[in-house]
Amino acid sequence: MCDIFALSSGVNYTAHEYLPIFAEKSKNNMNGWGIGFFRDNIALIEKSSEQVYNQEQVHESFQRLARVVDSRIIVSHISCPLSGGRHTAHNHPFSLSFLDHVWLFVHVGLIDEIENYKTTNEPRIEVDVYSARVFEYLRDQLISYLRYTPYGSLGRSLVKSIKNMISQYPGRYAFFLANESVLFAFCNFRQFMLLREAERFGNSLILTSIKEGLSEKEWISISPAPDTLGKLLVVAGPDLLYLGDVV
Amino acid sequence: MCDLFALSAATNYSAPKSLPLFAAKAGKNVDGWGIGFFKKNRAYVEKSADRAYYEGRYDDSFQRLARVISSKFIIAHVRLRTSGPIDECHAHPFALQFRGEDWIFAHNGKAPAIESYISKKVRLDCAVSDSAKTFEYLLDGIAAQDKQSSSALSLFRAVALTTSQLVEDYPGRYNFLLTNGWVLFAFSNHRQFFLLKGSKNLENGLLLTTVGQGLSPESWVSLSRQNLSKGLLLAIVGSDVLLQEDI
Repeated sequence: MCDIFALSSGVNYTAHEYLPIFAEKSKNNMNGWGIGFFRDNIALIEKSSEQVYNQEQVHESFQRLARVVDSRIIVSHISCPLSGGRHTAHNHPFSLSFLDHVWLFVHVGLIDEIENYKTTNEPRIEVDVYSARVFEYLRDQLISYLRYTPYGSLGRSLVKSIKNMISQYPGRYAFFLANESVLFAFCNFRQFMLLREAERFGNSLILTSIKEGLSEKEWISISPAPDTLGKLLVVAGPDLLYLGDVV
Repeated sequence: MCDLFALSAATNYSAPKSLPLFAAKAGKNVDGWGIGFFKKNRAYVEKSADRAYYEGRYDDSFQRLARVISSKFIIAHVRLRTSGPIDECHAHPFALQFRGEDWIFAHNGKAPAIESYISKKVRLDCAVSDSAKTFEYLLDGIAAQDKQSSSALSLFRAVALTTSQLVEDYPGRYNFLLTNGWVLFAFSNHRQFFLLKGSKNLENGLLLTTVGQGLSPESWVSLSRQNLSKGLLLAIVGSDVLLQEDI
């Protein structure tokens, strides 16, 4: 199963401490990797179809990027064979512009039938991996809710979108969706591990799907509750702004 | 009655058009003004006991600051005294350090019952008005909610629970803006907020004010509490209303 990582901070911050550990702990995922971040509110993505970990070494470019990339929000994905092909373009994160933001998306899971979803908006992500269709579905839903009610709650609109998606395309979802200011995290089948770092470590909040967390610190486990559709987190800067069940 | 203004944007912004309009349209508030903003995550407040606007003229400092201040969040207040003396100290916004972050607060309304409140943890040194006490109560409440929670408690939930308790413990009229530099909370239990996004005449970002019908002849949207609720709470990040709840 693929793994995902996100860092949200109040200031531009580098995930040099955690990204290499994330790569090492995801070493069974051998189908590529990607790192997404923001510079001047523009989303930038670096990705590769090469193994993130080989011969006891984290991929050199991944290591260098981990040291250099600084952003208020950083997301990363390490791919397993289930997630699609072996080309760089098939790897996450994906990016789309809508609702006056550039968005980044990484996803883990298995969903039936969603690869047949046809987006109603432009652009389409030109790769045939189902995570791209998940992203397009969420984009289409958010636009449909907020295009004519721009003062509607973005969080509430995402909850409605997720409910529609799960109803139409049942499956296993764990994803991060971020614009330059806010990070949404949703899971309905795995736990996320959460760590709020102190100011001297960048005053940041870190989330990952790695089940034991990425250090010996006190990571909080966040799992979907029984009889719910999943758990949604909203993170702004280093703060967990919202944590609730989608029902 | 005092009036409130906020600008929230994804990048640092100035408000050279909307701040003077705010001062002029709220010109009946003669007992002081203040502007709060963030620079490198530190809160700054410039305030005065003078009138912001009088007989067609703006206070010189107010006008210059409106042109110069640049921040993701700009909070402004013009005061009509209902509690505490008329002096610079009692002009809003107020700023306090709490949980390692700087917080800015501005309030309008009337809540004489809370003037007797004595904070256990935070103290605004010179101010003794209902507004100053409300700020202290909110920060104490957020800290208490955090402590009571056995797992990760979201900041929105902590602010919502604390505000609900505030209205029960000290009934009154509350309209407030509260921000830590990552998120802006706006609460109202007695007036409307007017919001405008993507203005063609004023600044970009999200503008919010209590001034009736907004600051320009554009399509401002009004938000207010529902009949049976204790008040409406918004969480704003960048130019989006992220979360919205009737408490």
